[in-house]
Amino acid sequence: MRCRLDSLSLIVCLHLLSIDGDDDKGERSQIGDTMTVAAGVGYVLIALGPALSLFASVIAKKPFLILTLLSSTLFWLISLIILAGAWRAFLPVKSTELWPYSILILTSVGFQEGIRIGFWRLFKKMEDMLNAFADRVSKPRLFLTDKMQLALAGGLGHGLAHAVFFCLSLLTPAFGPATFYVDKCPSIPFFLISAIIALGFVIIHTFSMVIAFNGYTEGKRKDQIFVPFAHLIAALITLINLVPGGCNIGLPLLCIMAGTTLYYSWQLVWRRLTEHQTTRSSD
Amino acid sequence: MPPPDDPPSTTTAATKTSIIDSLGVEIVGVMSPVSICMLLVVLILTSLSSPSTTSSTSPPPVTAATLIYVESDSDSPSHKLLGAVLDAAAFVALIAAATFVLVLLYYYNFTSFLKNYLRFSVFFVLFSMGGSIMASLLQHFSIPLDAPTSFILLFNFAILGVLSVFSPAVPILLRQSYMVSVAVIVAVWFARLPEWTTWVLLIALALYDLAAVLCPHGPLRILVELASSRDEELPALVYEARPADSSHPVSPPASTPVASLGSVEMQPVSEASNSNSSSVDEEERSPLVSSPPVVRENLSNFNHEQVRESNNSNHAVVEMETGESETLPLVEREGFRSSSNSDSEFEMFDSTRGIRLGLGDFVFYSVLVGRAAMYDLMTVYACYLAIISGLGCTLILLSVFRHALPALPISITLGVIFYFLTRLLMEPFVVGASTNLVMF
Repeated sequence: MRCRLDSLSLIVCLHLLSIDGDDDKGERSQIGDTMTVAAGVGYVLIALGPALSLFASVIAKKPFLILTLLSSTLFWLISLIILAGAWRAFLPVKSTELWPYSILILTSVGFQEGIRIGFWRLFKKMEDMLNAFADRVSKPRLFLTDKMQLALAGGLGHGLAHAVFFCLSLLTPAFGPATFYVDKCPSIPFFLISAIIALGFVIIHTFSMVIAFNGYTEGKRKDQIFVPFAHLIAALITLINLVPGGCNIGLPLLCIMAGTTLYYSWQLVWRRLTEHQTTRSSD
Repeated sequence: MPPPDDPPSTTTAATKTSIIDSLGVEIVGVMSPVSICMLLVVLILTSLSSPSTTSSTSPPPVTAATLIYVESDSDSPSHKLLGAVLDAAAFVALIAAATFVLVLLYYYNFTSFLKNYLRFSVFFVLFSMGGSIMASLLQHFSIPLDAPTSFILLFNFAILGVLSVFSPAVPILLRQSYMVSVAVIVAVWFARLPEWTTWVLLIALALYDLAAVLCPHGPLRILVELASSRDEELPALVYEARPADSSHPVSPPASTPVASLGSVEMQPVSEASNSNSSSVDEEERSPLVSSPPVVRENLSNFNHEQVRESNNSNHAVVEMETGESETLPLVEREGFRSSSNSDSEFEMFDSTRGIRLGLGDFVFYSVLVGRAAMYDLMTVYACYLAIISGLGCTLILLSVFRHALPALPISITLGVIFYFLTRLLMEPFVVGASTNLVMF
């Protein structure tokens, strides 16, 4: 069943799809059910796969990182609620014009980058507290890898929150037997597009936090400017999706942006670790 | 800049342990079962709810919470609100009366009666309420399981649950799993209440919890003081977040466990040692933080004999003689001078009791998240984060105040606030943006 409606009635459509799917469950064969559950699980894994593997390999081992992840997710949620509260009076925004959405994106990205600086200040305070605690129990202070892991956990929290609120919460109908296409993008199912965009943003959020923390700690302008810039460009790229057929261009560009952020952070971390290693070995 | 040929070796960093390796173990140890409970409740409710939500003719269950007023869709909002407030007041009054009866019985030492009543209630929950949930799940997913087999399986499940709740010989992981199952089953039943009644009830229970634990004559506070003055375990169904690799009965067996519907308080890690150095540092305000590595090494290195020979009524005190090599691994690791500090050893051992969270807290957190799940998944995530952060705040307060604290108020308040904020503010914003594929 194809549901070609505009976004205003999307919520109605989503609920209809989920109810329809379940009513037919008794008559449908088991294979049809598992196929659609598989599709839903597939979309979830596309959006969250790298995040889950990062979680399992790095973060799940240290409970403190789990707590950092949860608090940074909460932070992002609160910032989103504040943004939504500020924009509530202007909603719903007409999807045919570009400029309301661009203002929305500019304000949202600006606000979130401001929050990132606040987050970094909190992180500094926490680092000082942890170092003081380490001195009291006569254990070594925080290593560079620790700080980077904390930054990674913080960024992953932001990315996870983005994926959950922008992608996963709309994925419920994907577990049923139907799919949905947006008017502007008739070639790719809506769920797949949002999953891929969520994947891109998870990577961007995670690694830009690492870059940002390193940049603020070292005081390097280049890193500090890179992060808001990358975030803004990525968000503006999604504006291309408003144009009919634009998602065919927007999606690859977003993936390129995510790859750029990943590469930049890789270079940065590599450089810092080698510098740290050489300074330690030269002592 | 091309990366160098040989990757930087991090062996020097890896051999030393950092402090963030083991910080916050206990907090995560409490948050994981809460998360698992909420996840199971959401899964059960979302898979079972679709047939019933489409048919609004099915009457809500007749429970203690719908004694006065049963909500129906045709009433006006003010009527619904009034009815919900009356229902919540009746329910809280019932819970308060039941708790007072409990306190009286505990005061007059009717312990065997309470113990058997608790056994019966756990069996009832697992067998009959759990059985009906199992029946609807079997029906919904068309699982080919015949009636006699499912009866036998359910019966075994319930009996094992009854055994594991009381016996200290049962592995802690099994006991924790059964606690979570009981909480899941009760929460699924509570979540079937009508919407307005549920929200007002949650707020009313949070207020009641605050009063019952913190006021000088509140029933739960009296209960806690009685239990601690008799040096016994708290008589209630509690979840103990002890590390799972302990197979010894480290703390005294729960001699007077009693069912408590509103068992909604947390007990702190009592007198937790926070010294890995030789002097007990009074200013150290992070017991939850530093005791875990000590605790885990303790538990995995103790022998049965050492535990039994030095059991007294409250702690299993272990004499850490300097000659004993079994206990020294802890000593060697932490550089601990054990010979001079029997005080800190006492305290260290107390801390193995772990953080305890009442089952009522699990139930009402899951009810809140379950009710949020009936609206949309976005509210589920928002409420989950709110509850977890409320729980974290409560744990931090616990480490500061060092006596029993109510676990419901902060989390429920945050959960309710976030639910309504998300539903009213965030949802139109985010759904409007993401369905147009504009994301940031």
